Amino acid sequence: MSQSSTQKQIPLTERGHRVFDVVRKFGKGAQEIEATLTSTTGEFLRFGNNELGQSQFTKGRTLSVRLASEKKQARTTTGRLEESFIQKAVEKAVAQLKTAPEDPDYLPMLGHQKYRTINRYHERTVQESAETKAGHVGYAIELARKNNLLASGILGTSVDEVFMINTAGLEADYKGTGGYFSLTMDADNGNQTGYANSTFADISELDAKQVSETTLERARLNKAQSEITPGKFDVVIDPNAWSEMLFFFIVSASTGFSPDFGVRQYREGRSYLSGRMDEKILGDNVTLVDDVYHPLQTGPAFDGEGYPKSNLTLVENGLLKGLASSRISAHRYDGVNPTGHELPLPNPLGEAPTNLVIQGKGGTKTTDELVGELDKGLLLTRLWYIREVEPRTKTLTGMTRDGTFLVENGKIKRPVKNLRFNQSLLELFNNIDGFTEPVRNTSFTGTTMLQPGILARDFNFTSVSPF
Amino acid sequence: MNSTKSLGEELSRVCLETATRENATYADFRLVNTISEVVGIINENPASEELNDLGAGMRVLYKDSGWGFADTDEVNPENIRDTTGKALALARGATKIGSKVSFVKEPVHVEDWVSPKKKDPLEVSTDTKYGLLQDATGRMKEEGIVARRGQIFSTRIEKYFANSEGSKIFQDLTQTGASLIVAAKGPSGIQRRSIQQYVLGGYELLDELDLPGQAPTLTKEALALTQAEGCPEGKSDVILSADQVGLQVHESCGHPIELDRVLGYEANFAGRSFLTPDQLGKLQYGSKHVNIVMDATLTHGHGLGTFAYDDEGVQAQRKYAVKNGKFVGYLMSRGTASHVGENRSNGCMRADTYKLPIIRMTNVSLEPGDWDYNELIEDTRDGILMDTNYGWSIDQKRYNFQFNCEKGYRIKNGSLGEMIRGPGYSGITPEFWNACDAVGNQKSWVLWGTPNCGKGQPQQVMGTGHGAAPSRFRNIRTFGAS
Repeated sequence: MSQSSTQKQIPLTERGHRVFDVVRKFGKGAQEIEATLTSTTGEFLRFGNNELGQSQFTKGRTLSVRLASEKKQARTTTGRLEESFIQKAVEKAVAQLKTAPEDPDYLPMLGHQKYRTINRYHERTVQESAETKAGHVGYAIELARKNNLLASGILGTSVDEVFMINTAGLEADYKGTGGYFSLTMDADNGNQTGYANSTFADISELDAKQVSETTLERARLNKAQSEITPGKFDVVIDPNAWSEMLFFFIVSASTGFSPDFGVRQYREGRSYLSGRMDEKILGDNVTLVDDVYHPLQTGPAFDGEGYPKSNLTLVENGLLKGLASSRISAHRYDGVNPTGHELPLPNPLGEAPTNLVIQGKGGTKTTDELVGELDKGLLLTRLWYIREVEPRTKTLTGMTRDGTFLVENGKIKRPVKNLRFNQSLLELFNNIDGFTEPVRNTSFTGTTMLQPGILARDFNFTSVSPF
Repeated sequence: MNSTKSLGEELSRVCLETATRENATYADFRLVNTISEVVGIINENPASEELNDLGAGMRVLYKDSGWGFADTDEVNPENIRDTTGKALALARGATKIGSKVSFVKEPVHVEDWVSPKKKDPLEVSTDTKYGLLQDATGRMKEEGIVARRGQIFSTRIEKYFANSEGSKIFQDLTQTGASLIVAAKGPSGIQRRSIQQYVLGGYELLDELDLPGQAPTLTKEALALTQAEGCPEGKSDVILSADQVGLQVHESCGHPIELDRVLGYEANFAGRSFLTPDQLGKLQYGSKHVNIVMDATLTHGHGLGTFAYDDEGVQAQRKYAVKNGKFVGYLMSRGTASHVGENRSNGCMRADTYKLPIIRMTNVSLEPGDWDYNELIEDTRDGILMDTNYGWSIDQKRYNFQFNCEKGYRIKNGSLGEMIRGPGYSGITPEFWNACDAVGNQKSWVLWGTPNCGKGQPQQVMGTGHGAAPSRFRNIRTFGAS
């Protein structure tokens, strides 16, 4: 068995045209119609306690319809593509359209667009047999068993497809594969533990053996931890350790988890960046770009209304230089051009960069090389449960887990108990002395980020856990 | 007959016959139809969406040692047969890396259950909802306010469950929720005030919440917070508002009593737990004032963790997790109960739509104590009142936590004093709950809804309930978050 289906598959674009004909038939009361068809299939081998206990195959499609008339909009989404259910969904949207308030920012739907070609679909990921994937998991479990450890984690592969079409002549489509292998080995109720993970678009990129061996090596090192007094430490953060923390660059809790790097939020004063354009917010050696075309990035080359995505420099050499924009912002504000970062409409939240690439200046090194440059400090292999404490300084709190190591004179000396930190993200990015090559990682919300590991000064730890 | 139920009956036969023919030890089938609607406004911009999601999930146990699960949104007999085959193939593969599963017994149940509601929220027009939100957010327009946001959530979940033992259960659940947020900008940066509540019930919630009536107070408080002093750093007696106590229960009791994480099945993502089986019946988790129940029954209230049967067909139950401060029980499933010597699950397997069921919180609630809210304040000589959660974080075994709230007040000699912004507190779970010396009574007890608890890989989102009253904790570490 593999993730591919034995049933004959109709291409999503062909199915999308058929569905759009049905949507138009029942949406005659609307002046403009947009339909977005998405399809996701996934196969996940999930294991824990050295057992393959939660193997899952999952398949889902949705049709989302946006109708608009006289500056009013309504959206309905359905998981059923039979005509009677499409009719029901469209008629519901037509009814909502009649009573919806006017959206002062409404713009007519976008016409035909040209997109840069991106190839993110890898047949090998789809065709890889469950047996081969179970072999990767089996190797990890066997390695754990031999070392009196328990393996837990997941090996997942997926195919995502999107087709967007509207009555103004727009057609956009995307098909991509992805996957990840996340592994923990532990013993003594997690008092001894190690972790590693890897993501891929093409499963042949996955070196499952290396993930297993890195996890084992860290688990072997991380036992009988000693307690250290919290305070400021220089740190090396492994590139795979901190996607959740970096996600807070672009999202704030202060207005209910809304994006920060968009023109609308910036101009309305809702963003922590408001009023800081051209100010130095990060170190000279940090550049932040949004680049959907980067070979390691994921997702389509168009935004939530089908506008082509541009590459965007957000922070250049530490200076705030750009913001994600959209047609709405270009219409609302003088001197603003759309960059293709709109969310699906109607969207009162504002724009969001969704393909972040964090670039460090001054050459790239491996995590081991960064550790070699650390006189005294801590190596952090995983950060966990990050939340915003204060939005303007982007002070975040969270914990270390699965391996925190004291480093002296460039060598790992001993493992230490897990620590809580309260650290400003902006301050941290002003204190970086070295970078690794960025790796692809996915935050807990699904946003793909290319993130480096770092060597940084004065990371602020505030308390210690009992383990 | 309800169309989800009749389709579920037809398709479950296909699934269960296929699994039985292929010699599965056990199989269950769920058809879930979810209709959810969100109506919202941020500043002047409206947005609404209705989502209808129908699909089926099939779980198969093979040779007592391999589990396989598959789901699909193509709900026709041919595809259900094919998808059951995928679950069987995964289960056969898992037997090679599995161990013998001990699956405790559950009586066969055949029942239909509809959750109570006075006003179906999906029958209330979006026009009415927009009107209410425009009224509420309109009352927040003031100099210094940078964001006004209101949302109303309406959900109906129809589920049909059948298993190879003969259970056939249909449930029809209605949930309603609402939130209102206002953000002000001033000398101390952006300060937020908000309210939110989610229940198993109907649109009557919106009448109870009175969003337009609350909007001016929230706005005034957000503006006042931009001028307020920060929270002192050090140690202090702390009184937490009921909603904050509810989240504290969720994070520091609800998660560590999930038996799957205790047994190591969640070690890679959600983590493990400090509440290991050797502590059961022995550990003094909290003071004698701390009684925490796991209660999915309607008698407990209209919570997001209220139902008649869980997603593996086990009847809703009420059990203690903590009794007079002592740790006494776990959230369990049929596959895990025997690991702690139980011969019946207490019904905590729940799934996000038709995905794989995993152990989740139901309603995990702190039972009310005997203190009037006013008595709590009057009895506190020097302390801090903290109200409405802003941020939360806890380690993977649920020991070391840190929370910060939207607003606070100093308490001096039994009276509320000046307002303080961003009050925060931190601690170690058993030390914290053992420092609890007073719990508010039934008058101030509320069953709060938490709609967005994440767990599992791929991640699932689940609604849980947490009953709580304002409570006092002695000598707690405090800090200023902003």
